[in-house]
Amino acid sequence: MEEKELDLWKVAVVGALSLVFFLGLWEIAVRAGLISAFFLPAPSQVVQRGGQMAAGHRPVLLGDVGSSARRVMAGFLLSALIGVPCGLVLGTSPWVRAAMNPVISILRPLPALSWIPLSIIWLGIGEKQKYAIVFMGCFASVLVYTTDATLRVNPTLRLAALNLGASRFQVLRHVILPGALPDILSGLKVVLAIAWTCVISAEMVGATGGLGFRIWTGKDLSDSSQVLVGMLCISVTVLVLDVAFRGLERLLLPWQKRGRGP
Amino acid sequence: MSDILIRAEAVTKVFTTRRGIVEALKDFSLEVHRGEVVCLVGASGCGKTTALNLMAGFLAPTTGRIVLEGREIHGIEPRCGMIFQSYALFPWMSVLENVSFGPRLRGVPRAERQARARRWLERTGLAEFQAAYPGELSGGMSQRVALCRALANEPEVLLCDEPFAALDAMTRQVLQEELLRVVQLSGQTVVFITHSIDEALILSDRVVVMSARPGRVRATYDNDLPRPRHLDVQLTERFLELKRQVWSLVEEEVGRALSMAASKAGH
Repeated sequence: MEEKELDLWKVAVVGALSLVFFLGLWEIAVRAGLISAFFLPAPSQVVQRGGQMAAGHRPVLLGDVGSSARRVMAGFLLSALIGVPCGLVLGTSPWVRAAMNPVISILRPLPALSWIPLSIIWLGIGEKQKYAIVFMGCFASVLVYTTDATLRVNPTLRLAALNLGASRFQVLRHVILPGALPDILSGLKVVLAIAWTCVISAEMVGATGGLGFRIWTGKDLSDSSQVLVGMLCISVTVLVLDVAFRGLERLLLPWQKRGRGP
Repeated sequence: MSDILIRAEAVTKVFTTRRGIVEALKDFSLEVHRGEVVCLVGASGCGKTTALNLMAGFLAPTTGRIVLEGREIHGIEPRCGMIFQSYALFPWMSVLENVSFGPRLRGVPRAERQARARRWLERTGLAEFQAAYPGELSGGMSQRVALCRALANEPEVLLCDEPFAALDAMTRQVLQEELLRVVQLSGQTVVFITHSIDEALILSDRVVVMSARPGRVRATYDNDLPRPRHLDVQLTERFLELKRQVWSLVEEEVGRALSMAASKAGH
């Protein structure tokens, strides 16, 4: 039997209660001495440390969130700006596909981390190197998601447009792009999460700011609270971006039924 | 006799598939006059859809040629507007945008193309749905929008590939009546594919029966049922007489198609 979906407010209430319960359990476990605060500080300690980092005598937290977010967006947007048009061409031309697939197959399995040594040799450890890491981590995925999305567009729609007198370019602009857009956007949502893992790795290896740097120096100072504050900031930022992305989807895809899919 | 608008000249179409070579059409010839409604009927797999796709330019003949207004066609031909069985509406465009898409491609200014689209939507009773997206429409409404979209592009020939086959019986009758009205109003030339002899007789000036594969023209019947025509023409003596004639021939071809399939399966 299929279970009925819950009302939105019920989902919110149950979710909030579960979060409070989990955090409470954690807090009690630390205060009762079941867990050493050195290894895992209590939520209250993390919040306190977060407050210091955000508004204490050396406020660094917002700056860190800002630099990481800027690096993510720069690398991600660059990969989307180049990757989506290239993917559309790959999806519509079997010849280009045949020519490019071997190259993509070699690039795609490389983790962003494996680009860090080369990128440092080429670009040093400045901002450009961070953008490059995010770009290299995202580009191949954007390409593959876009190509697959293009190939899934109903071929009859292509015929219908040609039958109405569309040129090859008009088919691309008015049929292939809007037809593939829903799948491209869900692909980009996955890629945005990849971009965050890229930037955190890059900041841990060579940087003077950003959430990855802050987490890594927390480890050097044996300050677990600082590590947890950094991790929490990643979660929150990604959540905020995800909500923003959903808004963008609703804006760009008014024809799609709401509430379908995850 | 009025002039010939589109003509298939001894067209043969051979498909090479993984299972071997299939001859879909052999020596298929057909002449359609301006303003005429021709219905192609035949057993399934007789090459009706192939014939239509050739006329639209979606496929190229293996031998022979398709001639439109005295010129052989090469490639997809916008003067031959197609209505697909699956509607093929663009889901991201509103009804109005779908119907005005053809003129838009040719650079007709926005106000003009939308006015033209609205006229067609009004004629088919869809005016209040112009802002809806295809996902919100029923099958019958979707096919009406597809009809408007094709007609707003002012094709010389309207090609219909079993457009009502996926609809329920009631909706199908309503749409037949509507197509009848639109065609009689505008004098649109139509080539219509169906496996329903009733539908062919209601709509056509001429019924063309195709043979089992490879498809050829087996026989042509002039449909002299009076126009303007309504659905109640099905109740007349003459309708039943024509239906009996066409059916006896179609039955023969369906039988041949079945025995061919059986002998193939036996090997």
